Order: sequence, then structure tokens, then C-alpha cells
Amino acid sequence: MIALWLAIYPELLSAAWATIQLAAFALAIGLVLGLVIALARRSHSAMLRRAAGIYVQIFRGTPALIQLFLIYFGLAEFGVKLSSFQAAVLGLGLNTAAYMAEIYRSGIEAIARGQTEAALAIGMRPMQAMRWIVLPQAVRVVLPPIGNVMINLLKDTSVASLIAAPDLMLRAQDLSAEYFRPLEIYVMVGIVYFLMCFPLSLLLRHAERRGARSR
Amino acid sequence: MTGAGFLSAVADWPRFLGVLSEGAIATVGLTIASSLAAFIFGGLIALMREARFPPLRWFALAFLEVFRNVPVLTQLFILYFGLSRLGIQLPATVAVTLGFGLNGAAVCSEIFRGSIAAVDRGQREAAQAIGMSNGLIMLSIIAPQAIRIALPALGNFCIGLLKHTSLASAAAAPELAYRAKLLVSETFRSTEIYFLAALIYFLLSLALARLVQRTEKHFDPLARAA
Repeated sequence: MIALWLAIYPELLSAAWATIQLAAFALAIGLVLGLVIALARRSHSAMLRRAAGIYVQIFRGTPALIQLFLIYFGLAEFGVKLSSFQAAVLGLGLNTAAYMAEIYRSGIEAIARGQTEAALAIGMRPMQAMRWIVLPQAVRVVLPPIGNVMINLLKDTSVASLIAAPDLMLRAQDLSAEYFRPLEIYVMVGIVYFLMCFPLSLLLRHAERRGARSR
Repeated sequence: MTGAGFLSAVADWPRFLGVLSEGAIATVGLTIASSLAAFIFGGLIALMREARFPPLRWFALAFLEVFRNVPVLTQLFILYFGLSRLGIQLPATVAVTLGFGLNGAAVCSEIFRGSIAAVDRGQREAAQAIGMSNGLIMLSIIAPQAIRIALPALGNFCIGLLKHTSLASAAAAPELAYRAKLLVSETFRSTEIYFLAALIYFLLSLALARLVQRTEKHFDPLARAA
């Protein structure tokens, strides 16, 4: 087992780096697009509100795997050829955006209406009130759930291996075919995922406890 | 795609839907079996975390952290492909049900613990004061209230699980995503087939969300009285 570990750990580490990149790009899309959607859900235009609501419903109501299949295989039929890595970033990013939008929304709604009303009363425009009064306070509310999304995303990147995106889980499948020792290799890969996610979980719980005390 | 091409394409959809709906039934069965397994294992883990015997508590905590911080896909692969190396070849459906059950147990045990803790302390004290035994207090005072508190989170868990079962296709369990994959490799019409599969998943999760809502209402004495 130790000999096997020594033989494959450089490959596992480089694949883990690919997984981290995949998660980071998808998170970036999710954070930005999620905010756009959350703001669209509060817009004055009923069309925009509906469109944003439908987006969230669709992406939360279907499995990430099917979304990846549609983006990777489906778009190719229309001549849009994405690499499996690009498709995975796009798919996981769009998926994360739907969850982020709900988190932002709950954060914005948690900030009392009175805050907005007071800001409008002293002559701020609605966008200004959102930018300077509501969002800074909402950030504090949404940080713990965002941490949760990050950890889940890091784990969900494994789904990208099913469209052959070069992540940790795909490397595991290759290695297990090469060495024919699936049990050892999948356990090792599990340990690598654990080493990435567990510190994040601890950090998140620590932050949550501190946040609970300061309030 | 021309108009006529589109029409002839749509003409195949009933056949696709027929195959996919067989998969959908398997997906529903897998979701039900996995959630039941998750509730049972989760209940056991939650109990073990309160055990007086420290190694039991340590085991429960280690279980929780391991299953929470490793992707469920990796867990499925260990159970399905990994165990076969030891001569334990579980059928795909059994392996994935076990995998989703164990993985879900980590989530559910935390939900159970949280909702038991959320029941007002005075309830337990009052029950003790009138001389109820600990088991009876748990069964007839704490549990009914805790279930009500746990329902929204458990409902979300089940809806999440419904979508996660699509990963079982990687272990060739004959559910919806797997049927879709087979159909695509047979016809090469990925957009239409995955679109139809997505539609079925969407309707299933919508129906499940409705069911969860109704269950919550059923257990809410105020809503029932109104």
C-alpha cells in the first residue's frame, strides 16, 4: 500500500490541483452570476424577476450531472465545442449560481426593511441603499452558507469526471485501470479529498461559532 | 434543424419517454430506499454521539467527518469497484443504496441532533417532574416535537438525494440517468434525451417538494386546526 502510494502520489497531487482550479473557476462564476440573479429577482421588471426565478428553479430542480451532460454533449450538437474542463467549469458555475442566488436573497431579506427605508429617507437612491447599506450587512449573514457551498462544490467537482474532465476522480479511474487496485486507489483519493475539505469544514465551524458569539 | 426534421425528431420522443420513465421509477425507488437507510443509520449515529461509552462517541464523530468531507461519488466507487477486489461484489443497486444511505446518515444525524436540542428544555423537565421515564420522555414528548422541527431540513435532504441518485449511473445502476446514457449511446441524440431526462428530474423534484410541504402542514397543529 505504501509502495503504491509512493508510486501514484505525484499524480494524485497534480490532479488535486486540477480539482482545486475547477472548483475555484466554478465558484467565481457562481459568486458573480449568483449576485446578478439575486438582484434580478428584486428588480422592478416583472420579466427579469420571472426569468431569474425560472433560472433558479431549473438549476436547483435537476441533477448537476444531467446539466453537465447537456452542456458537454448537447452544446456540441449545436457546434459549440467546449473542452470537458470548460464544460465542467461552466456547468458547475451555472449550477452554483442558482444556489448562491438563494443565499444572497436570504441575506438581503434578513436585513430589515427599515434599513432600506431609512436609507431612502435620507435621500439615497435604491441602488445606493443596496450598495452602501444592505449589501455590506448582508455579507455577514451569507458568509457561513457560502462556506458550505464552497465545500460542497469542492466535493461535487468529482461529478465532472463523468464527462471526462481531468480532475482527481478521473485520475483515480485511470490509475485504478492501470494498477488494477481500485480499493486502495479510491481510498487514497478519498483521503486526498478529505484533506482538502476537512480543514475548510473546521474553519467554517470555527467562524460560525465566533459569529454566533459576537451577535 | 428544418421544420420537417424537427417533427420527425419529436415523433421519437414517446419511445424515449417510455424508456426514461422506467428509469424514473427506479430513481424514485432508489431515492426512497436510500432515504430510509439514511434515516436509520443517521438515527443510530445520533444516538451513538450521546453514548456514555467514549469509543462509541469517537466512532460516531469520525464517521460523521469522513462521510461529510469525501465526495459521495468516491464513496460509491469504493463500495462498488473497491470492495469487489476483496471478493465482495455487491449488486450495483445495493452498493449505491448503501453508499447514499451512509453518506446521508452523516447529514441526517446532524439534523436529528439539532432538532432534539431545539425542543424546549422545560418540556423534558416537566415530563421528569410528573415521573415519566427517560425512554417515555424521548418517545412521547421530545420525538414528536423534534420531528416537526426536523421536517424542513429532512425534506431538503430528500430532494437533494433525488438529484444525487443520478450519480448511481456511474456504477451502472439502472436508474434514470443511466437509461438516458444508454439511450444516447444507442441513438446519438444527446440534446433531446438529456433534455427529456432533465424534465423528468425536474417534475420529480417538484412533486417531492410539494409532498414535503404537505407533510410539514400535516404535522403543524396550527395549520391543521385552521
